[in-house]
Amino acid sequence: MSSSNTFQYALSSNNAWAGYKAHQNPQFFPKLAGGQSPEILWIGCSDSRCPETTILGMQPGDVFVHRNIANIVSPTDINTTAVIEYAVVHLGVKHIVLCGHSGCGGAAGALSDARIGGVLDTWLLPLKTVRFNHAEELDAITDEKERVVRIAQLNVEEGIKVLMNNATVREAIAERGLEVHGVFFDIGCGRIRELGCGTAHKFPAGDHVVRGKHGQLVFGQDGEAEIAAAQ
Amino acid sequence: MFSTRLGLSPLLHSSKQASSALSRLAIPRTTPLRLTLPSATATPRRFCSSHRSADNKDGKKDITMYLQETHDKVFENNRSWAAEQVAKDPDFFKKLEAGQNPEYLWIGCSDSRIPAEQITGLQPGEAFVHRNIANLVCNTDLNVMSVIEYAVKHLKVKHIVVCGHYGCGGVKAAMTPKDLGLMNPWLRNIRDVYRLHEKELDAIPDEEARYERLVELNVYEQCRNVVKTAALQQSYAENGFPVIHGWVFNFRDGLLKDLNVDFETILKDIQKIYNLTA
Repeated sequence: MSSSNTFQYALSSNNAWAGYKAHQNPQFFPKLAGGQSPEILWIGCSDSRCPETTILGMQPGDVFVHRNIANIVSPTDINTTAVIEYAVVHLGVKHIVLCGHSGCGGAAGALSDARIGGVLDTWLLPLKTVRFNHAEELDAITDEKERVVRIAQLNVEEGIKVLMNNATVREAIAERGLEVHGVFFDIGCGRIRELGCGTAHKFPAGDHVVRGKHGQLVFGQDGEAEIAAAQ
Repeated sequence: MFSTRLGLSPLLHSSKQASSALSRLAIPRTTPLRLTLPSATATPRRFCSSHRSADNKDGKKDITMYLQETHDKVFENNRSWAAEQVAKDPDFFKKLEAGQNPEYLWIGCSDSRIPAEQITGLQPGEAFVHRNIANLVCNTDLNVMSVIEYAVKHLKVKHIVVCGHYGCGGVKAAMTPKDLGLMNPWLRNIRDVYRLHEKELDAIPDEEARYERLVELNVYEQCRNVVKTAALQQSYAENGFPVIHGWVFNFRDGLLKDLNVDFETILKDIQKIYNLTA
């Protein structure tokens, strides 16, 4: 597909999507227009292969989103900080999910000694620090892909530490039981799993948590319709 | 299950924490905020009386259970989504794993109602995405600057879309004469957009219309900010791409409005002062 075709495709596809959604549920857009009440703040990578709402099987209105290069949570980054503040204080989200993924270009960049150039070297500095702090473990991994996976996981653990030390997050954990989760998305199979860091220590690393059918439990504005569909 | 979700609403609504969070809000009630949402339709008839106290033990157990279940649901959804993709195309994830080659960079708002991929019908692998409060592109923000640089120089995207939306809580917050603490430095950029277009905005008598226009002008200004970057100017001079688009999403009908940002003119305009191609 040529690039101008792709562009037109996105616009016409939006038209089709809006028509389909409105046809399925005439209340869908009026409800959305009424406001948002997401329960999840997702902090993930900008990588095009990690569309959060899609891979979570969720709907518009369910997930408040910040995505940046290599899902880095840097304590002084005012962009991420403003998102966290808005989501936790003003929207009162119940979960923060920090998600890393396999095949992350930022993680691969941090493992290389070459200078990337521009502002990227500075942005990736926290990842470089992770690399040097875990040099022994990372160097011992012979498979390059696996090394990228491992540093991306360590990066999530590091990001969780920053999140847990954020004053707003700390208050919300203590006052109303906000949960913070470190997860990992394996692009090779499409699955997400918990890394066992954050407030959710009770989940052993690597386990897929499944507890029966919760089709009736639906996030966000579209709750009623989805409940009906699930029953 | 049904009851668990519904049983929680009054709990949170009556809790001290919730109301203190609410009192910290400096944004008018019309702004889409979690705690001002009408749960009236969802308010349970069966459970409101017994679950009201946030302090009682059962209430606490309820919250824990509810958090566990809402959390598990995500994993369950993810598993069925992954299975669905494999059923449609057994090589779906193998292809994804091989790498990304997105044509778009999407710079949008964090707002939960605008999942870029779903509203455009783009598949995983097609759009590189950055989302922040009020889809801002600030010169000194290394976060968004890194995204643009990576997308343009390394992924060689063909289009950059800045997508705003009517009813943006961030834009509204920035129009509110209040100290919003940690959010001040971020929202300040929207106040600057207002100042740049003060005459036009002040001339709009209807508040809602003025607010919608500010959303559009904010998209327009952020498009200009993208054009001001070295990465974009250099790539465009060399390759003839990427080009910039300004869109606004409307919740009322779910449609994207193309603001038809005149990329060529903006580029010519800004390069008098912001030329970084050399």
